[in-house]
Amino acid sequence: MHLKYESQLREPLVYGDKTYSKVTEDIVRPIEAKPTKLWYIGFYIAVALLMFGVYSVYREVTYGIGEWNLNKTVGWGWDITNFVWWVGIGHAGTLISAILLLFRQGWRTGVNRAAEAMTIFAVMCAGQFPIFHMGRVWMAFFVLPYPNSRGPLWVNFNSPLLWDVFAISTYFTVSLLFWYSGLLPDFATVRDRAFTKLRKRLYGIAAFGWTGSTKHWQRHESLSLVLAGLSTPLVLSVHTIVSFDFATSVIPGWHTTIFPPYFVAGAIFSGFAMVQTLMIIVRKVFAMEDYVTIGHIEAMNKVIVLTGSIVGIAYLTELFMGWYSQNKYEGYTFWYSRAYLFSPYGWSYWGMMACNVLSPQIFWFRKMRRNIFVTFFMSVIVNIGMWFERFVIIVTSLYRDYLPSSWSVYYSPSIWEIGFYAGTFGLFFTCFFLFAKYFPVIAIAEIKYVLKTTGEGYKNEMGNIEAQKLEEFVHEHAH
Amino acid sequence: MEQKKHWQSFGELNKSEAYNKDVKDEFKEDLPFVEDESKGFLNAKAPRRDFLKYLGFSTAAAAAAASCEMPVKKAIPFANKPEDIVPGIAKYYATTYVQDGDTVSIIAKVRDGRPIKIEGNDLSPLTKGGTSARVQASVLDLYDTSRLRFPTINGKETSFEAVDKAIAASMSGNLVILTSTITSPSTKAIVAQFLAKNAGSKHITYDAVSYSGILLANEASYGMRAIPSYHFENAKTIVSLGADFLGTWLSPVEFSKQYANGKKLDEKNPEMSKHIHFESVASLTGANADEKYLHRPSETAAIAAALLSAVNGGGVSGIADARLKEGIEKAAKALNNHKGAALVVAGSNDVNIQLIVNAINNAIGAGGTTINWGVINNIRVGVDADFAKLVDDMNAGAVGTLLIVGANPAYSWFDAEKFKSALKKVKTTVSFAGKMDETAELCKFVLPDHHFLESWGDAEAKTSYFSFLQPTIYPLFKTRQWQDSLLKWSGANEDYLGYLKNFWTVKLGGTNGWDKALQDGVITIGESSTRPGTYNGTAVAGALSAATAAKKGGKIELVLYEKIAIGAGQGASNPWLQELPDPVTRATWDNYIVVSPAMAKTLLNIDLNNAGQADAYEVNPPKKLVKVTVGGKTIELPTLIIPGTHPETIGIALGYGRSEKVGKSAAGVGKNAFALASLSGAAVNFSHNDVSLVVTGEKYPVALTQTHSRYDTEQGNRTEVVKELSLAAYKHNPTEIRDEREKELAPWGGLEKFESQGTLYPVFDRPGIKWGMSVDLNTCTGCGACVVACNAENNISVVGKPEVLRGHEMHWLRIDRYYSGDMDNPNVVFQPLMCQHCDNAPCENVCPVAATNHSSEGLNQMTYNRCIGTRYCANNCPFKVRRFNWADYTGSDSFGDNQKGHVNEVVLDMNDDLTRMVLNPDVTVRSRGVIEKCSFCVQRLQEGKLKAKKDSRVLSDSDVKVACQQACPTNAINFGNANSKESAITMARKENPNRQFYVLEQLHVLPGVTYLAKVRNTDEMPAHHTEGEKEGAKKEHTEKAHG
Repeated sequence: MHLKYESQLREPLVYGDKTYSKVTEDIVRPIEAKPTKLWYIGFYIAVALLMFGVYSVYREVTYGIGEWNLNKTVGWGWDITNFVWWVGIGHAGTLISAILLLFRQGWRTGVNRAAEAMTIFAVMCAGQFPIFHMGRVWMAFFVLPYPNSRGPLWVNFNSPLLWDVFAISTYFTVSLLFWYSGLLPDFATVRDRAFTKLRKRLYGIAAFGWTGSTKHWQRHESLSLVLAGLSTPLVLSVHTIVSFDFATSVIPGWHTTIFPPYFVAGAIFSGFAMVQTLMIIVRKVFAMEDYVTIGHIEAMNKVIVLTGSIVGIAYLTELFMGWYSQNKYEGYTFWYSRAYLFSPYGWSYWGMMACNVLSPQIFWFRKMRRNIFVTFFMSVIVNIGMWFERFVIIVTSLYRDYLPSSWSVYYSPSIWEIGFYAGTFGLFFTCFFLFAKYFPVIAIAEIKYVLKTTGEGYKNEMGNIEAQKLEEFVHEHAH
Repeated sequence: MEQKKHWQSFGELNKSEAYNKDVKDEFKEDLPFVEDESKGFLNAKAPRRDFLKYLGFSTAAAAAAASCEMPVKKAIPFANKPEDIVPGIAKYYATTYVQDGDTVSIIAKVRDGRPIKIEGNDLSPLTKGGTSARVQASVLDLYDTSRLRFPTINGKETSFEAVDKAIAASMSGNLVILTSTITSPSTKAIVAQFLAKNAGSKHITYDAVSYSGILLANEASYGMRAIPSYHFENAKTIVSLGADFLGTWLSPVEFSKQYANGKKLDEKNPEMSKHIHFESVASLTGANADEKYLHRPSETAAIAAALLSAVNGGGVSGIADARLKEGIEKAAKALNNHKGAALVVAGSNDVNIQLIVNAINNAIGAGGTTINWGVINNIRVGVDADFAKLVDDMNAGAVGTLLIVGANPAYSWFDAEKFKSALKKVKTTVSFAGKMDETAELCKFVLPDHHFLESWGDAEAKTSYFSFLQPTIYPLFKTRQWQDSLLKWSGANEDYLGYLKNFWTVKLGGTNGWDKALQDGVITIGESSTRPGTYNGTAVAGALSAATAAKKGGKIELVLYEKIAIGAGQGASNPWLQELPDPVTRATWDNYIVVSPAMAKTLLNIDLNNAGQADAYEVNPPKKLVKVTVGGKTIELPTLIIPGTHPETIGIALGYGRSEKVGKSAAGVGKNAFALASLSGAAVNFSHNDVSLVVTGEKYPVALTQTHSRYDTEQGNRTEVVKELSLAAYKHNPTEIRDEREKELAPWGGLEKFESQGTLYPVFDRPGIKWGMSVDLNTCTGCGACVVACNAENNISVVGKPEVLRGHEMHWLRIDRYYSGDMDNPNVVFQPLMCQHCDNAPCENVCPVAATNHSSEGLNQMTYNRCIGTRYCANNCPFKVRRFNWADYTGSDSFGDNQKGHVNEVVLDMNDDLTRMVLNPDVTVRSRGVIEKCSFCVQRLQEGKLKAKKDSRVLSDSDVKVACQQACPTNAINFGNANSKESAITMARKENPNRQFYVLEQLHVLPGVTYLAKVRNTDEMPAHHTEGEKEGAKKEHTEKAHG
């Protein structure tokens, strides 16, 4: 039995009188059952979006970036906005699995699998943008530093874009490994329950021959810790490096030292919001309210209100510095191009402020934190707000920079830019639907790990024991 | 050790002859395998590797061949190489740009038989190597796909022999040759000869925008229907009444050169000419003026009269506007202060106004100093009344045969319908137009003329100043010079070349003289001395009374003007000119109604002083459409708000709305405004004093390349961008700009040490060559010649209006226009901006693949092959000079045949095989998806360095001239090796320490381009100079600027 003792006052992490077999049954059920109609509808919509995205990208690759509405002044628009947005979303998974693991936060077990899957898919979506925003994507391999036959040519290690290449590919690799190593025991469970040969074979391959021996478990635990140790700095580094794309430049509105922490906080903010959006749907659809409990939702809402406020302070600091620095270029960007509501892009700044800073304050109230509808609504709002944030940073800084002569006409996306973005949603949800159908969406092994300390049934049992008189307990156990 | 051999057949065992043969011929073809004695292929030790090698190679090659479909373009070498042509080495021929009356001596650069670039001819005493945008762009006209390729009768293709016969048969009745101004003496002789042969025939000159007013006024004042030479360089005071002499008036290249002389500032002895300008609609010349006053067009005569009165010591009367009155008084005072070194010019086509101007010029002693009657300007001789009479004659059936050369009245005559119906009454109509223009379309016979680069000829822009034309390419099509036709029809035996040669050998006394003249391209013969002209002022009284009696204007008045690029429509079919942003409005590909900010407020409900409304106007290309009604004729155009325009006047550019037959780039671009003009007296009047405007409520997009125009925004006076000050302020404190820079950079070691102390990184030495550029904002007039020169030199793509609308224009060099001060009548500064070739370039370090990097000679280089198109460099460029290939504009994509998506008609037309002949083979055309930008004409730098190296000497300034520098008519651009002690660039920097600045210097990007601040010759003193307070300087300056 687990030695950890958890107070009766804490809410259980698993509701219902669950046993190990009940847990397995609950979580593996959707994998073994036929997909519902709803699943098919959702899946096909996602695939349709993906196809539209593929066509949008096809046009852009074959005809040129001119298919988008970027111009000589605004060289990045929706493309990099979406990139940063998706990378940001891809932050919660690793944060939940790695940092919370190191901090021994038991509540992570209910959401970590889905959150990690979301991370993987979000980073996959994010990766599309820097690749396909290139004018000559077929030459994209130029960014890889490998010995080549093109003379002394080598990548430019000074460029933040190159750092991105390393940061994101590393992050993706480590997240994938982490996620997959966690999946091994669960795949083995599915394999062991398989009712057809094919299933047995496929899940058998996926499980890498997991037998559940003590040695396996011991190695699994160590590997998890090692990967968690590796991922922890990555959570901070990825978005820090993404922020360097802007912070190391000379453009007013980009050239700010506050970016790394501000971007990381924002990334966690948006990542948790996205986990909320997805988990609220998943727990409902797969009837997993017992595992992803209201307590989980409340815990994540606390993270959201914290990070949202950090982001808010960052915005205010930027505004303050825009004035305090007495740099007229910066002042113009922050106070006019952004904060002045009636400037051409003022709406995006105030949209961002409303979504990211003001509305999450609602989570100071416990009642709101525990309200599913409010949470779902807010999680969507936060992600809209975070999209605005990236749009504000990229477009409002670029479209009016130093020379007034170069100030740009109003940039708004073309249908193919929107299509590309929609396509990444398609990719994301296609992956997510497949994941929900074929993978255990909750880490079975990890739930079992905390079940006896935090499961409602066991807690009740323990409560009963505590309430029992000592004599009775001794008497009972003497038999 | 011998290997044991196993036999496989009896043949092998016996080594029979048949077997041996078989073994040897196992492969019928020769395979390049190593023959291994008699052992056979499979037994050999080495060939297995060879086999694998070849297998690998052939698989790879097959895969490569199958996957990469690259279009194959064949280059055919000479069968017999011409002796004097070395492939890859350019040849230069002196010739002359002739477009109607406009005449500029040029040098054509010919590569492999194709003229590809035009430079000014330094030997010309008139233009002195200067060019204009139109001259630079004219080489593209040679390769225009819409040029006529053969003679036609009633639109059907035929041969010249057949046409000659048919015309000989149908020539009847009175014959008229209708031409635009001819400056060629030999042509004039041929015309005279032809007229003499045909009794009752005559020659009428028609200029689309005529100078009838001046010609007739001069006839009255000086007894000569001619235009004298103007000498702006001799003028200390220049007063212009709406004459756009730096842009479109008469001979702008020549005048720009002269004008720049007076504007060049010697820092040790700061004196400049003073230019006071009166105008109704913002023009390039007005933008350059030291002081500018706005008036209604109907007031011009009154202003001229008032100025005359003031110059003669009388008061200014009849002028209601206080500021305008003050301006006239000021102008009169300045003119009187510099008697004998002053000049007044007027752009009006009104005889009376020009008569008054003649009187003023006489009063201020311009004759013999700034006006020379000894040398006549021949470039405009047409008088509108003559043409009007011709139209009446034609209507009356008095003209039997009409030969039309250069003139295009069906398009540019204000009453084109009348001309068209008159033309129907002429039995035989012959056009010599090179393109199917609006008039040629209506002619029975069309005998296309050569392009001037295919032609022989001569020109006499000014009396005694001759310039020659020689062909630089064999005629591309079945065309014939019209002089040849005339000679043939007058029964001469020789062709025009023979005639011309004879004409000149007689004049020059031998073929040697002719050869030399042709080689130089210019010659001056029999120059007469400077003459003031004999002035006769009798007509002035009548003119003055006409001026006072002139009808007062209505609520809103109209001015029709020419644009620098398009002119009277000649440039409309040239994509380079269409895409050249107008210097004043920064618009491309359209004409529009120019309105003042005040009118915008009342008429369009747009208040530019309201930040939100100004933004909305600036960032959205669709502009409000307005219907203009002038005397029953209406025209609907979008409106552009241009400060510096009179509040009750609108302006519309001529030259648009041409027939699509003259070129794809002219099709559907703008509207023809010639119809709004009217004939008043003997001259066409290009203004109207009562028009009505109706806002239609609809919008129409106008492709602007610059949307925002103020650097002194409310949110901060961005003086690091551009610096300007008054001459008085400069004299008061010459080091003001230097002090300001010093103060700004003080925390980082000041000016001296900024480079090393402004960074954490080590600083590198820059030995050897260090290319640098210096641009003098004082002499730059903003004319745009450099922009087109850059287009031509560097194969810059034309992208068409839809792409310019989306901010996709590709110009490597642009001319920024900034306003400062008063919104209604602001100061204007032009700033040519190209890649600044920063030594600490922000674009270089952000490229992930190092596609842009720094050369040891200070060039910021762009490696197109390496570029993957992340556009990060463009984002991080504080000057926004990098351009991205958004689509396959050049047809050089990695994917063949991929000119789709946003590639429009104009781009396709520019990629036609014929048009591509204009490409400079020394410069790569850029493929889709890569960034490009100014390279400081690196191909020229290489060529210059090699030249010096071949001669084993140090590189000198004359070895290297970049395209923009060479094209500039005012020598505002200086370029060279900044490390050399003798180079012009070093001298320019050394001699102008006080006006020198770098754009955005504080960023520590260390630009390689220096600018010299604009100094305006005014007495304005910013408040802080008089108070001597440095602290409040900035604030007050800003306040002043907002005035």
